[in-house]
Amino acid sequence: MLNQQSELNDSLLTPGELAKREGLRARKPYVANKLAKISAMEERGEISPIIRLEKSYLCNFQCTHCSAEYYMDRHLDKVLHVTDDRKKIDLEKIKDISQQADALGLARFVITGGEPLVMRDLDEVVAAIDPEKHYVIVDTNGWFLDLEKAKHLKSIGVEKIQLSLDSLVEEEHDNFRNKPGSYKKVMKAIDATIDAGLNLLLSTVLIKGQPKTQAFLDLCKFSTDKGVGLYVSYAKPTGSCTDHPEFVIDKEDADILRSLEKEYMVFTHMTPSYGSFKGCITVKGIITVTSTGEITPCPYIDFSIGNLYENSLKEILDRGMGNPWLGPHRPDCLIGEDPKFIKIHTEKTAGAKHLPLPWGQGFTDDDSLMD
Amino acid sequence: MKNDGVAQSDSNFDQYGRCIPSSLTPPVHKESRRYFTITQPQVDYHEIYHRLNKVFNFSAQLSVSDFEARAEAILSQLRNDECNQNITSGVAVPFILPQANYVDIGEAFQSTYLDGVKQAFQQMYPTHSFDNFCKDSLQGKFSTTKGSRQNTLIQAMQKGVVVGYYFPCLLEYSVPAAIERIAALPEYCILAGGFDTSSAFIGSPSLLLREDGYPPLLWASGFSSDNANEGYHFEAYGYDLTFNRRMHLGQVAEYWASGLVVLG
Repeated sequence: MLNQQSELNDSLLTPGELAKREGLRARKPYVANKLAKISAMEERGEISPIIRLEKSYLCNFQCTHCSAEYYMDRHLDKVLHVTDDRKKIDLEKIKDISQQADALGLARFVITGGEPLVMRDLDEVVAAIDPEKHYVIVDTNGWFLDLEKAKHLKSIGVEKIQLSLDSLVEEEHDNFRNKPGSYKKVMKAIDATIDAGLNLLLSTVLIKGQPKTQAFLDLCKFSTDKGVGLYVSYAKPTGSCTDHPEFVIDKEDADILRSLEKEYMVFTHMTPSYGSFKGCITVKGIITVTSTGEITPCPYIDFSIGNLYENSLKEILDRGMGNPWLGPHRPDCLIGEDPKFIKIHTEKTAGAKHLPLPWGQGFTDDDSLMD
Repeated sequence: MKNDGVAQSDSNFDQYGRCIPSSLTPPVHKESRRYFTITQPQVDYHEIYHRLNKVFNFSAQLSVSDFEARAEAILSQLRNDECNQNITSGVAVPFILPQANYVDIGEAFQSTYLDGVKQAFQQMYPTHSFDNFCKDSLQGKFSTTKGSRQNTLIQAMQKGVVVGYYFPCLLEYSVPAAIERIAALPEYCILAGGFDTSSAFIGSPSLLLREDGYPPLLWASGFSSDNANEGYHFEAYGYDLTFNRRMHLGQVAEYWASGLVVLG
């Protein structure tokens, strides 16, 4: 995930941010102009969600809290003993999505997964998105991100790297990621990203009680001292975390984190930024395109709001914004904090072999907050 | 309390004090699951009076006992009104407004009332903050909303110190629905605007502070700008209180609410 509300009003930017904006304007004026129009779009009630693209779920890690684990072939093969014969998105479809997004004024793509840096066709995916038309971010665990790779990503048009870092305590990070050596790799990846001239965002998953710990404060301080934002994602009761309901944060955790935003470069997807006060960003600020062309309203909600092989992107976004859970402004995280929605989500996804649940099985036209 | 469970048809308010929507044209939620709720602050008339007097300096015109008597009379009047008694089952905080005749309500709101909220909030919560995200001048920006009955409140302020009760009871109403709902309520019900809502926060700074859940956002729907699609509101952010502007576009959200005031 990236700073969802970034790249908006020039007047609200720091000198460093403004310099980056000017650099983008010089290199990619079309992208910069689209980004500059986001505030005006929001004033008109239009949305400009970041598009997370999950073309492949192949990953060299098996993290404790992974939201994508249940989408992965290894889970389907070894746990559910099923194969996924649904139609998969290809480069042509990605080009089509890019064009549809561009026509709607959408400007940002995040390539995620899975681990993007194990994708053999990553360069082709970046090209299909078209970095001259969209701001492209790569969301990675950093294992394969050395200086050479970082420079290569920069050369093909990637603008920003989002690196996962769960703790400054090496053992804790490696344990949480279930990958010895991953801490050392991500630390090298941080330097490689900066040295290659790419923008950098660190991301971490927050579990219950963590905001009160010195280890978390150390992580906030590390990020701030580096001049790099720390994106904090609440652990959600989905994916691998379904087996860890004790990870789900409470209101106190969320409030402590909001207080830390004043002191550190730390933020969540609900953090107001650059004059944008979206609250929960489902559909409004983010969507995920899964490998089967389904669109989910958030990386952690396994209900589709439509399939790009059946409906246009605009139709799907309109449908999402019309859903009572997703469209209206709300201050909290729907899938991370609202017990009623969490219960509905848990019950409907229990036993599902293929995620996300298609439109009509998860979200429906008849959804109501009162059911 | 009049209702047990489902509101009776002649009551304007349900058992929790929420104003029941009645055949409104603009968007409103017919029912509420009560997810975004406000915890009733303690009503200590002495403390509330002194917080408000620090900002408005009305002690020569109104004593603590007069404040309490006038405020309690409002509640008594409501409790004796069969159709509206349930409003007292919801959240309610008393407030005081100074005698004043403002040429520009936007300028007065910004210079006196928002500053007053900041002062009161930060005095009660020194480690928290009140953040006003509206950096532009509000001078010449506001008028009273047509249909809000805010002019009644403005006129009362011209005559003397005003005592009232603020009820954040238009829960899950769009701003246009809140305005429309006023027309079917008794004449003494006024849609809360900038002065009354601010005064409620000055007297009761903890109004939106909740540690176990999220309170609603409160629109100052009785004040309007030139743009019918935008509104100004108070909102909690963690342990902080904020004031801001946003586009509501006439839409409804479970998180959005407006308030009613009754003067006494």
